Amino acid sequence: MVGMFDNIMKPKITENFSFEDAELEELGIALKNKIDKVFGGSLAIREVDTGSDNSPEIELVNLTTPYYDIERFGISFVASPRHSDALIVTGPVTRNMALALRKTYDATPEPKLVIALGDDACDGGIFKNSYAVLGGVDKVIPVDMKIPGNPPSPKEILKGLFALIRQIERQ
Amino acid sequence: MVYVNGLMPWCHRLFSLPEERFSVSQSHDTIISIQSSEFEKVISKIYDESFTMVCIFASESAVPDSKPTLTYVFERTGYAGFLILKLELSTENVISIGLPFPTACLYEREIRDGFGIEFINAKDNRRLFLHENYPKEFHPLRKTFRNRPVETIQPVPPDEEYQFKKVHGEGVYQIPVGPVHAGIIEPGHFRFSVIGESIYNLEVRMFWKHRGIEKLAEGKTPEQAAALAEAVSGDETAANTWAYCTAVERISGMLVPPRAEHLRLIFAEMERIYSLLGDMAGMSIDVAYPVGACPFFNLREEILRWNDNLSGSRFYKGAFVIGGIRKDVSAEKLTELTQYLKSFSERYEDAVRSLLAQPSVIDRFDTTGVVRSELVAPLNLTGPIARASGVPTDVRIDHPYGLYSKLIPRIKILDGGDVLCRFNIKADVIKNSVELIERAIGEMPVGPILAESKVKDGSALSAVESSRGQNVHWVDIRNGKIERYKVRTASFCNWIAIEFAVLNNIVPDFPLINKSMNLSYAGTDL
Repeated sequence: MVGMFDNIMKPKITENFSFEDAELEELGIALKNKIDKVFGGSLAIREVDTGSDNSPEIELVNLTTPYYDIERFGISFVASPRHSDALIVTGPVTRNMALALRKTYDATPEPKLVIALGDDACDGGIFKNSYAVLGGVDKVIPVDMKIPGNPPSPKEILKGLFALIRQIERQ
Repeated sequence: MVYVNGLMPWCHRLFSLPEERFSVSQSHDTIISIQSSEFEKVISKIYDESFTMVCIFASESAVPDSKPTLTYVFERTGYAGFLILKLELSTENVISIGLPFPTACLYEREIRDGFGIEFINAKDNRRLFLHENYPKEFHPLRKTFRNRPVETIQPVPPDEEYQFKKVHGEGVYQIPVGPVHAGIIEPGHFRFSVIGESIYNLEVRMFWKHRGIEKLAEGKTPEQAAALAEAVSGDETAANTWAYCTAVERISGMLVPPRAEHLRLIFAEMERIYSLLGDMAGMSIDVAYPVGACPFFNLREEILRWNDNLSGSRFYKGAFVIGGIRKDVSAEKLTELTQYLKSFSERYEDAVRSLLAQPSVIDRFDTTGVVRSELVAPLNLTGPIARASGVPTDVRIDHPYGLYSKLIPRIKILDGGDVLCRFNIKADVIKNSVELIERAIGEMPVGPILAESKVKDGSALSAVESSRGQNVHWVDIRNGKIERYKVRTASFCNWIAIEFAVLNNIVPDFPLINKSMNLSYAGTDL
């Protein structure tokens, strides 16, 4: 209970959080410039898990935490496919999730992008030939970019997004 | 106090079955083979003696026309060994034991899907992991089915759609949520029946992520199948591969070198720390206090980077191998880790203290989502959920494995059963994990990191304590290939707890209650 009194009585001090990651900053700024140019300043992403082992989700959540904080580069994860420019799909597509993925894709407004994230999402990975899995994401919906990894690290995800935007820019 | 000598003499007196039916495994599990005629009598004795049901699974031998075997696993407080009943089926029917052991309903549905075995008097005959897009009479775990794509039923006829529990009455309305959720989380379907703002009933429908891991493992070499154990649940990679490797090592009589045992413990405890840090951050986010979550997120990222530093993977993918670990860790790195953990502990305790100093946080945590202690044993709830509801259970203590028989964890018990208790239990688990890692580093022996021996044929059960509770693995090897691999993670059982915890709570508290348990969807769906 002392903590509660401290909260009322003591002065408030905000934590000074700093760390340096030159590679991340450089990557982020480059990404931001591209997003400003191609997407008018913001890229909204909806995440769909169709059978991952939940580690890609941890890395995606990580991107929004203070260490990476990718919202400052113009990328945000949104709650509905209706608000999104791109879908990030993780995991091989299980039979049980195929319809949900299809519906999410259909609910995303055109023009839309699809990113398959992780080895399983790219081509089915170790789940190939399972009765329960249809295969990689491209077996169900068209895919614009594949980011391999088990799971890809936050920086690899950012690099993948950068590559995707550059690809669109060229078109 | 845990008796290591197993349940054998005790079971002898209890069941009065002939001597040759009993055997004891290397890990002191008592295995009894029983016949259909004795089944009911034995089960009622087990129930009277207040055993807890751990798992039921079926298996089938590759020999044509052979009958499936049902394996029932029980545990009893105070005994390190499990009680394993083997029931060879003479017909395709067997009596349901859902009444004395409520969790049996889930296993029976699972077995019905996988093997087509019918349970007499079963209360619930709906499909479990095979959703309605799978054809009828399809039983993937039967040996006659060779793994291949199957026909998809679409659209599903209305009378074959999944039937949720119907709640009638004035003012009751339903809220369907999922499988695709608003946040960056895994898919699951929640069907709420709500009166006003309070939840009257919740039914969780899982298995959207069913990937067929058990079938995929069959026919693979034990080394190949380790990749599947890793994929069961990403944030339990170390726990599940440790359990899998332990089962194979028990079968083969391998002795893991002491240095590998120490490193395994460090890896598993590091995993426990980052996994629980994520839960604590999530709980803070779900009471709309993201500032309080930031330090936990930062610490989690630091631990993930340490994981990469120690093993080459942020999630310990590929770190555990049968007989030991893949890569040694240098002494300098371990010293560095000890130093880091000092600064970690300081900042971690600050974060916990400042979060719990917020009246708005306490207001949301306290008395929310209570899991009553009476539910723990019948539903086989394990891990922080059980310990927050007043039940001292921890596989590391109850069924010691690896180094835990020497480095005994200290566990905290609270009896409120609410979100606040679960938060405090998790906060304490992290502190204890840091202590365990420091002790393991302090007494780190030198020597090899891999046992030198070959994998043999046979079967064994192993259980480990993951961040969420008791994970059980059963491995059966024939002719050097996996014949049957069964996994049951803590999430499989603990999901039922949420259906009880939310009752009479308001809908906006559901995400918080859910996060306070933070169960794995992938680990349940397999």
